[in-house]
Amino acid sequence: MGGMMSYFRGLFGNREMRILILGLDGAGKTTILYRLQVGEIVTTIPTIGFNVEQVTYKNLKFQVWDLGGQTSIRPYWRCYYSNTDAIIYVVDSADKDRIGISKQELVSMLEEEELKNAVLVVLANKQDIPGCLSVADVHRALGLEALRTRTFQIFKASALKGEGLDEAMEWLSNTLQQKK
Amino acid sequence: MTDSKYFTTTKKGEIFELKTELNSEKKEKKREAVKKVIASMTVGKDVSALFPDVVNCMQTDNLELKKLVYLYLMNYAKSQPDLAIMAVNTFVKDCEDPNPLIRALAVRTMGCIRVDKITEYLCEPLRKCLKDEDPYVRNTPAVCVAKLYDINAALVEDQGFLEQLKDLLSDSNPMVVANAVAALTEINETSSRPLIEMNTQTVNKLLTALNECTEWGQVFILDSLANYEPKDEREAQNICERITPRLAHANAAVVLSTVKVLMKLIDILPRDSDFIAQLIKKLAPPMVTLLSAEPEIQYVALRNINLIVQKRPDILKQEMKVFFVKYNDPIYVKMEKLDIMIRLAHQANIAQVLSELKEYATEVDVDFVRKSVRAIGRCAIKVEQSAERCVSTLLDLIQTKVNYVVQEAVVVIKDIFRKYPNKYESIISTLCENLDTLDEPEARASMIWIIGEYAERIDNADELLESFVEGFHDENTQVQLQLLTSVVKLFLKRPADTQELVQRVLSLATQDSDNPDLRDRGYIYWRLLSADPAAAKDVVLAEKPLISEETDLLEPSLLDELVCHIGSLASVYHKPPSTFVEAAVPLRKTLPKSTVGGSEEPSLIGGTSMPSTQQTTVIPSQDSLIADLLSLDLTPHPSGGNSHQPYAQSAFSSGLDDLLGLGSDGLLGDSHGASGLGGTASPPSVGFGGGVQPMVGMAGAGALPFGAPTLPMGGMGGMGGMGGGDIGGIGGLGDIFGGITPAAGSGYAAPKQIWLEAARSKGTELQGTFLRRSGQIVMDMTFTNRAMQALSGFAIQFNSNSFGLAPAQPLQVRPLPPNQSADAALPCKTDGPVQKMEPLTNLQVRIHFYSHFRFMECRNSL
Repeated sequence: MGGMMSYFRGLFGNREMRILILGLDGAGKTTILYRLQVGEIVTTIPTIGFNVEQVTYKNLKFQVWDLGGQTSIRPYWRCYYSNTDAIIYVVDSADKDRIGISKQELVSMLEEEELKNAVLVVLANKQDIPGCLSVADVHRALGLEALRTRTFQIFKASALKGEGLDEAMEWLSNTLQQKK
Repeated sequence: MTDSKYFTTTKKGEIFELKTELNSEKKEKKREAVKKVIASMTVGKDVSALFPDVVNCMQTDNLELKKLVYLYLMNYAKSQPDLAIMAVNTFVKDCEDPNPLIRALAVRTMGCIRVDKITEYLCEPLRKCLKDEDPYVRNTPAVCVAKLYDINAALVEDQGFLEQLKDLLSDSNPMVVANAVAALTEINETSSRPLIEMNTQTVNKLLTALNECTEWGQVFILDSLANYEPKDEREAQNICERITPRLAHANAAVVLSTVKVLMKLIDILPRDSDFIAQLIKKLAPPMVTLLSAEPEIQYVALRNINLIVQKRPDILKQEMKVFFVKYNDPIYVKMEKLDIMIRLAHQANIAQVLSELKEYATEVDVDFVRKSVRAIGRCAIKVEQSAERCVSTLLDLIQTKVNYVVQEAVVVIKDIFRKYPNKYESIISTLCENLDTLDEPEARASMIWIIGEYAERIDNADELLESFVEGFHDENTQVQLQLLTSVVKLFLKRPADTQELVQRVLSLATQDSDNPDLRDRGYIYWRLLSADPAAAKDVVLAEKPLISEETDLLEPSLLDELVCHIGSLASVYHKPPSTFVEAAVPLRKTLPKSTVGGSEEPSLIGGTSMPSTQQTTVIPSQDSLIADLLSLDLTPHPSGGNSHQPYAQSAFSSGLDDLLGLGSDGLLGDSHGASGLGGTASPPSVGFGGGVQPMVGMAGAGALPFGAPTLPMGGMGGMGGMGGGDIGGIGGLGDIFGGITPAAGSGYAAPKQIWLEAARSKGTELQGTFLRRSGQIVMDMTFTNRAMQALSGFAIQFNSNSFGLAPAQPLQVRPLPPNQSADAALPCKTDGPVQKMEPLTNLQVRIHFYSHFRFMECRNSL
């Protein structure tokens, strides 16, 4: 793309960024999506399928896809990879047992050709629960230090309390704008 | 990179282009793309590869786009069952949409997606929508439940959807009620047991909803009312009154469904009441109105009227004129009308009918003309007063010399001769004039019958018959058989000059023919004639039973069933639905209170005990001939408690007879006293002559054993219930002798089971059981005649079986008029031919009986 084009696009801000929210079931993906969209906590049921919403953050439009995290649905994540600008990977910091599975899913996802250029945000969610893993623990458990080429950042977050989401979105929008 | 990339990538072509467009950010473009996909789908292109992309367009606020995506889903969810799961969340969301249109649409689409994997996720939204505030939305899930039931019945029951459906029956919106009824009816039909019982309350609600809903809804409600059995006459009368206005509805389906309900309810109401008379008056006009509709509807109406006229001739007896054939009626309507005309013909209108029929007989359509000529004959038989006129009409028709008319006329005149013997013989000469033109087997056979029957009055009968004999081998079997019989008749009547002829025919039939029927009949005549000409006369020239008026009536049991299906395909086919619809459970509907048919309470007092006479296995009785095998397959009841104690075969040495007898006597005496069944003196008579004869317990239905001689006693047990161990065998035997379970204080007899269904044996139902009476095994049977003709000449024969069971005396059943039943007790002995059957308890029994028209064929296993 020529600089001229991206300049105009940036000016009008009409291109929607495509963001996927992924993670194991029960990590809090749907809650985060609606927290971002309407700023409220909505009661959710397990997502069998997907939700898609438009989220505007600082004049930037995002098309956010929240995909179900059940084992049966994970194989179909790949149907949503193409043209994705960023991935928000949500981890349940309190679910120590399954953090290994979470890591496997993350690693195999990042190997996908279609996601080569996608920015990664990891949200260590549910930090409000006492005794949960810290950000550093999650960082380690997911093996994020092994990521060399990926633009990524990890945030501690609590979707319930609304903590950490703003920071993450701030970082994400800046990063995405710079990338253009 | 390997060459495999050529197979995996589809970066080209239509599908790929559509894929890109579907993922476009512009809504306009997306919508266009989905439209293109649907267009491809409708012309039959496979666009299932786009499934995930189309599903991704599902969450949109654009109703048009949503509908298109739903349409796609209905089509392809089945081919992509795994991916279909991605759509679930959207359905769940849409079911909570503020827009009722979307809610209903979502539920409807969900119901159409018949993918097992996602059904469980659909329960929750379905439940919500069943309670939706909007009637439009409540409407849809009612049908959805029926669909879900088809996929997963257990799920529907577990989730309590049936109760929710039942609640919908009392919904305030009539359409919802109608849909709920439709769903419930459908569920009831596929389910093995009735899931939902209707009661007075629900019926009242249905009746209220009836007047307000659409014609489809009305049909659903009426159909379900037809399945309801009112508690008492008042309720039945009330339902009749409330649905009668539906008879005036413009929709034929509504009218027919109403007629169906009324037909069923009339049976419950007291006969001859004023109310019935009123009702019957009201039933005729709507049916007459149906006959002014298009020919197709006319046909359906006529097929239904055909049933109604058979069931209740009085309804339409005044309406003969509307069934007169119009010149421009299609042939199928003409034929049906003709049928009904004959059914409605009676003394008062016969003149009219005959003049019509005469007209029809001059039409051009051959089939119609034939049927008209037959109709004239049937009128003659049905209405005695008109016979004279019918015969003269037929004679007129014969004068036309139109070949097929003449042939048809000959056939029916034969029937008229049968019905009114010695009355119209004067026309025989006219018939004989047309002998040469007859070329159809049935007409030729009829003519030959007439000649044989009236051989003494036809001077040249021998010449006429001889002319047929010339080409004996070229004739149809029917003609050959008739010719054989007629020549024998001729011989018996005029023995002097026809001896040569009869010998020729007999030898033709027996020696030169390879048709077994013909040969057999030939031999019978031959032997009769050579052995005892007097007897031959008695047989061949015997008095013939009268023929009945209506030969083509449906069997009453079938008719009753079909009346319950008025307005459906079954009533057009005149076949019960089970014969052309594959249903999980064949559901037999019958009229509530059968007005026909005898009662079938199992009676154990049946026959009187008769002196036991030694007989051969086959016990012929009267003039009966062949029927077919009725195989009685006495499979042991699973819970019958056959203990399968292996007998110590060697223990039963020849000296043991007495011991066995004593053992059993003792047991009987002890445990049952003089229960009337004990028969202490009799056990030895039950076939114990042969020395070493261990017994086999056989369970008819639970514990109904009878003794039988013989042998390979591997694992056959005595009856359960008696102790094991050393005396197990004897204990079992005691049981066998007694024929009673120890638990039963007095004699136990298994209730009668249906061994032969009426529907499978041309109307003869047989119920039966085995029991012991005075130490003898008795086969207790109830015959019920559900056919149109009287049955007589019953005889029974047992095939060789494992127990050597055989009848001890002839079967004695009085001749059985239609719709009556008779009990018969057949004492059995156990020294008949023995043959090990597989399974051991298999027993084949052949029952012969003779009806006025045909030999019955019974075949069944039980």
